[in-house]
Amino acid sequence: MLSFLVWFPLGGVLLLGVWPKSMDPKYARSVALGVAIALLVWTIYLAFLFNPGQITMQFGEFVPWITAIGLNYHLALDGLSLPLLVLNSLLTLIAIWSTDPEIERPRFYYALMLLLNSSVAGAFLAQDILLFFLFYELEIIPLYFLIAIWGGARRGYAATKFLLYTAFSGIVLLASFLGIVWLSGASSFAYEPLRAIIVGAADTPSGLSLKLQLILMVGILIGFGIKIPFFPLHTWLPDAHVEASTPVSVLLAGVLLKLGTYGLLRYGVGLLPDAWVYLSPWLAVWAAISALYGTSCAILQQDMKKVVAYASIAHMAFILLAAAASTELSMIAAVCQMVSHGLISGLLFLLVGVVYKKTGSRDMFFLRGLLNPERGLPLIGSMMILGVMASAGIPGMVGFISEFLTFRGSFPIFPVQTLFCMLATGLTAVYFLLMINRVFFGRLPDELDHIPSVQWSDRLPAAVLVALIFLLGIQPSFIVRWSETQIAALIPYHPRPPQITSVYQPDQHLTRNSIDVLAQSISIRAAD
Amino acid sequence: MVSTPQLEPSQHKLADFIHRLEAGKALLQDSPLNVLEVVGILKSYGVVLDAYSNNLIYIANHQFLVFFPFFKYFNGEVNPGKLLKFLWHDRINYEYAEYCMKAMFWHGGGDLDTYLDSSEFLAAIEPVIQAKFKFNPLMLALHRAFPEFLPEQIRQLCYYSALGQFWRVMSDIFIDLSDRYDQGEIQSIPDVVEHILQGLVADANRPITYAVTLKRQVYDLLPPSANLTFLMDTAVPYVEAVFFRGTPFPGTISYNGQAYQIPMFQSDFAYGALYADPLPIGSAGIPPTLLMQDMRHYLPEYLLAVYRQGLRQEEDLKIQICQSFQKSMFCVTTAALQGLAPHPLTTNSIEEQKANRKYLEGWMNRFIPSRLLQVNR
Amino acid sequence: MVRRTGPRPAAYFNILMTILSCIHNTVAFQQVLKQPPQQLMFQWLQVADLNLSFAIEISPVSVGALELVTFISLLSQVYALGYLEKDWSISRFFGLMGFFEGALAGIAISDSLILSYALLEMLTLSTYLLVGFWYAQPLVVRASRDAFLTKRVGDIILLMGIVGLSSYGAGLTFSDLKVWSESIALPPLTEALLGLSLIAGPTGKCAQFPLNLWLDEAMEGPNPAGVMRNSVVVSMGAYVLIKLQPIFSLSPITSTALIMIGSLTAVGASLIAIAQVDIKRTLSHSTSAYLGLVFIAVGLGQVNIALSLLLTHAIAKALLFFSTGSIILSTNGQNITEMGGLWSRMPATTSAFVVGAASLVVILPMGFFRMMQQWLTGGWNMPLWLFVLLLFVNAASVINLTRIFRLVFLGSPQEKTRRAPEVQWLMALPMVTMTIAVLLFPLMPLKWSLWLSPIPSAVVFNQSSIPHAFPMMIAAGVIGFGIGWRMELRRALSRPTQFYLRLMQDLLAYDFYIDRIYEFTVVAVVRLASQFTTWLDQYIVDGLVNWVGKVTLLSGQGLKYGVSGQSQSYLLTIMVGISAILWLLLREDWPTIIDYWSTLWSTVLNQ
Repeated sequence: MLSFLVWFPLGGVLLLGVWPKSMDPKYARSVALGVAIALLVWTIYLAFLFNPGQITMQFGEFVPWITAIGLNYHLALDGLSLPLLVLNSLLTLIAIWSTDPEIERPRFYYALMLLLNSSVAGAFLAQDILLFFLFYELEIIPLYFLIAIWGGARRGYAATKFLLYTAFSGIVLLASFLGIVWLSGASSFAYEPLRAIIVGAADTPSGLSLKLQLILMVGILIGFGIKIPFFPLHTWLPDAHVEASTPVSVLLAGVLLKLGTYGLLRYGVGLLPDAWVYLSPWLAVWAAISALYGTSCAILQQDMKKVVAYASIAHMAFILLAAAASTELSMIAAVCQMVSHGLISGLLFLLVGVVYKKTGSRDMFFLRGLLNPERGLPLIGSMMILGVMASAGIPGMVGFISEFLTFRGSFPIFPVQTLFCMLATGLTAVYFLLMINRVFFGRLPDELDHIPSVQWSDRLPAAVLVALIFLLGIQPSFIVRWSETQIAALIPYHPRPPQITSVYQPDQHLTRNSIDVLAQSISIRAAD
Repeated sequence: MVSTPQLEPSQHKLADFIHRLEAGKALLQDSPLNVLEVVGILKSYGVVLDAYSNNLIYIANHQFLVFFPFFKYFNGEVNPGKLLKFLWHDRINYEYAEYCMKAMFWHGGGDLDTYLDSSEFLAAIEPVIQAKFKFNPLMLALHRAFPEFLPEQIRQLCYYSALGQFWRVMSDIFIDLSDRYDQGEIQSIPDVVEHILQGLVADANRPITYAVTLKRQVYDLLPPSANLTFLMDTAVPYVEAVFFRGTPFPGTISYNGQAYQIPMFQSDFAYGALYADPLPIGSAGIPPTLLMQDMRHYLPEYLLAVYRQGLRQEEDLKIQICQSFQKSMFCVTTAALQGLAPHPLTTNSIEEQKANRKYLEGWMNRFIPSRLLQVNR
Repeated sequence: MVRRTGPRPAAYFNILMTILSCIHNTVAFQQVLKQPPQQLMFQWLQVADLNLSFAIEISPVSVGALELVTFISLLSQVYALGYLEKDWSISRFFGLMGFFEGALAGIAISDSLILSYALLEMLTLSTYLLVGFWYAQPLVVRASRDAFLTKRVGDIILLMGIVGLSSYGAGLTFSDLKVWSESIALPPLTEALLGLSLIAGPTGKCAQFPLNLWLDEAMEGPNPAGVMRNSVVVSMGAYVLIKLQPIFSLSPITSTALIMIGSLTAVGASLIAIAQVDIKRTLSHSTSAYLGLVFIAVGLGQVNIALSLLLTHAIAKALLFFSTGSIILSTNGQNITEMGGLWSRMPATTSAFVVGAASLVVILPMGFFRMMQQWLTGGWNMPLWLFVLLLFVNAASVINLTRIFRLVFLGSPQEKTRRAPEVQWLMALPMVTMTIAVLLFPLMPLKWSLWLSPIPSAVVFNQSSIPHAFPMMIAAGVIGFGIGWRMELRRALSRPTQFYLRLMQDLLAYDFYIDRIYEFTVVAVVRLASQFTTWLDQYIVDGLVNWVGKVTLLSGQGLKYGVSGQSQSYLLTIMVGISAILWLLLREDWPTIIDYWSTLWSTVLNQ
């Protein structure tokens, strides 16, 4: 079931690898598209089979691998990974679709795309922390090549920077992972038993003490903090986005950054709960700083792609806020925010890509009046307005509900930090509106009189994303439903008490859920 | 043979164009493509003007002081099929004709404008009002309370009729031009200008009159005795109001009173067809879009073929039409300049040349902010 | 298809739909009057402990508001068909109007704060798009941006309030909020902050100080949308305010803030309005002033007065803006100093203006006259200063409207008003309909007392009622009329010669330079912050990282960023190899390493 998601794209890679050179390169595109469509269909099929009510992992697949070091091939799916998997399959298809059909070295390019998809899917599915790490490292290779070969003018610089950062991230993560396993005395790298040891025994000497957890947590935070990225670990991202081609940017923003937040939730919150709770006020402060920092950097950017990239940094920080609060609501909000960010930033990068493809520029002080209905890009502009509004959190679109849940979930725990994050969301409108008004409003300048016409194939992927953004915005329970039950299991079992307690109906609110979770974890322990 | 004294070259900013006109050429450069574009667009313009003109005259004659003219664009022929097409917006945008009429009415100029303020006119319309609203005491009371209301409406109807009559002539000139082009008689831009000039001259003194029939009684509103003529009382004010002054497009100019973007004096207006920027055509708040849309239905095949060679083929048709249209309007303006010049522009007499030079430099001052340079690029 | 035909079917369709909803509302209103209010709940999202449901209230007030929205919307759409007949983007306009109307109608019947918030945000968005309708025009670009951002400031603070309320356990329907506000005891500061944050949203929507400038700029948009904006849109902001009144009664600070904001705006905007030369702008500032009165009424807890004020103002202002539109269309300008003498040519426009103006002021027994009578003789106590303020606002409003009327309609025609026939039926018909509606309005039976249950304000003024309050109000109106009638009119290009007069006039004409104040405060802070972070990002954060990278990792090999080829494949090899090498190497020594680390850790920890 799940292995299909990992091995089928690898099969595609192999097929493209052995493809005779004499074949028409456009078949490479068809192969890649075919594989991507099959993957998307399969993922949706899985989503239908998935039972949202079940607390434990589903569709588990277990193959012993290198038992000597406790590494096993173990895949499984839960409510945290499912939405991200769907996002991965969808955005891969969109990225392949919106690749320039005339691209150079198509076989290599599409093979890398599929490899990227496979490794990301593997990382989301891995139930073994070393296996996760392997996929996490594997994903860097295709991405590096995708930036370094098909990127813009300074692609070498950007790709190397990306590589250095993520390499460092990998080393730190590996150190932390190894530390977690050895120090906790686990016999293997398997996730669930590990969690049971640590979480189930916090008050016994055999578990990890708070001090140890804190030390290990630093590695996790830096490792995933680079990937997500948070201030001040973010500087690779704007460069990478600016130099990467449009489909790569879509994947980078839409899916790859999510590996970081996924890791933070799964391995930070999940494996080191004491340290997480201990640090969480500072994490929330970090989230607020990162959000405000990304926002205020975005305001002065001149390159459209950089604006979207910094916006991405700001919006990813909300996930940290939600995770820091770790209430049931905020954890679900974190998942929603990941999906919403994936769709919205994917859309924005796609549209900026079309603008760049047609006008040859992303300079906000050069582009103007692109809404011109006859010679501009009116439909692209309209979708851009929608995308921007979704990002700014206008209700009716998915951005609003995920941000609202994030803030509502985090406010009782960290009111001040939440308010600062809300300030950042308010400022989102500032830089995006500046962008829209500069680029799309006004009179089309004479220099932009010769923009080639936009094909439907350019608009289709963006239109699909717009439709999804609206659909999930109006009916957010589609995401919430998948994750609700299982996310609760990740919550540290003695979360921070809310700073705000409801005076009205004190017996019913907020605390109740934590009590439920506590009761749940106690019963799990009893069962063990 | 004694060499005649030569006129010094002009020092004007647009001296090139002055010399060009003095040499008997047009404001628009002569090239086969330009001829094709100008003739082709004037052909479709002629067809559209024909419809506009018929409708304006129909409204003036048959919708006289009708306050709910639901079917004013139907030219008297109301049936379900036509109504459906109308609702589906499958029709000529007559709003543009009214827009031109209002611009002309608002800017005024010529004897027609003066006549509408004269006591003869006021005396002539009073019986019409009384006859029209004989059994409508409400309207008569309103007329008494707001004495300028109905006269102003009738003045506007006079302009409906006058512009309709003007466009009747122009439409015929343009269709004729196209026919002659098809027969190979028109080879160059000066030929086009010459054709238009001859057309204008031929009808220069054609009288402009307007009478309505109420209950079988004919009321002269613009009687022949007012001596209103085609060239001086409709063509010249029309060129002034529509080609030069126009009205500010809300899509590009702010109406904000405190921003002072719109000049205080009508004579300072420069929003007409010769000044308008074609690029925003098709956007919001650009009225000429309606005209371009109407013309696209009647483009001759050879012109469409040219447009299809463009980067966006038919996607930016309205802008391409507008660009050609602006070219053609400079040809019409050339004809008007030639016709109104104190002496033939190609004269050999130095005195006449001097007078012409003065006349042309005066006009060229107004062309400085126009699209003259762009259409010749 | 549309390429060959045109965009008008969209407009016709929209109007048809609005007619249907108008009829439906009228029928519904008759039914609702006979029944007690009902609440319909739609569960939207249930997640964890949060239950978001959309509640809809069906009561005379909500259906009445709905009717007002659809009625004014219908009239302005028909009006727009004439006003924008030359506009090829008419379908976009009507689409946006439909969206606008939908959001307004939703707010009218919404009984849930979260739903109202969502709809207010949609109003913000559609205001942005409607003001930005003529997006190629430079001032429009600025105006739409400012309209969105100003409202957005209010909205975000409102959202903070909602998140806070919800976190304090309040259910997010208005009826829950009322129950909650009666039973809760929060620290006073929290109560005040909650109340203030909830005020912020309506402050932006109703163009109250300090978020008032957008309405002035929004006048760049097409007039039919301006009709909606100055009548129903601002009203809907205040409508939400009225619904939130129970929360404001929690804290005297909130109520005082409402009264202060309202008073400041009422006085300031009245003065600004008198100095404007643009017909739409002067009326839009007057809108702010009247909404200021609504804020005062809500602050005093006089919900029924606030609602009547809104309703009276909405229809009168809509009428004034209908009239304005036809003036603009026939004179190709908005500068009232360039106009004059229109009255005898444009009967519908003139009477619309006169009727609209008369029902906005307290002189003749029309709209506001009746309303004020109710307010001043209804047993409500108000402090003397507030009464003086009301007198002032009335007088100033009369002065301004008289001034506009004289400049536009009286005097001799100027160049631009010389040829001004009355507008066509598509515009005249809604205008005349509205004129009749405004004239008949005072006859409408409004049983607020039956429909509303006012909550006592947190601010109590211990003052006996002012004697002869109402006659004094009429006197203020008459004096205002006298001043407006006699005052020297400024025609185009003439400026007062006295220095102080000029200074004063500029101060008012440019809205007390509030935009400059923004410029040097909020905007400056944001700009400085972003300049600082951008600098930090470029030179410190990125620079430092690059420097560390170069020194530690690459200096030995003398490699630099951007050198392609060997260096990168080398790095990549490291990367690919890392994991493989690690476990290959460690496979043998696994137990040793574990022992080593665990002993190390235990010694560290034991110390």
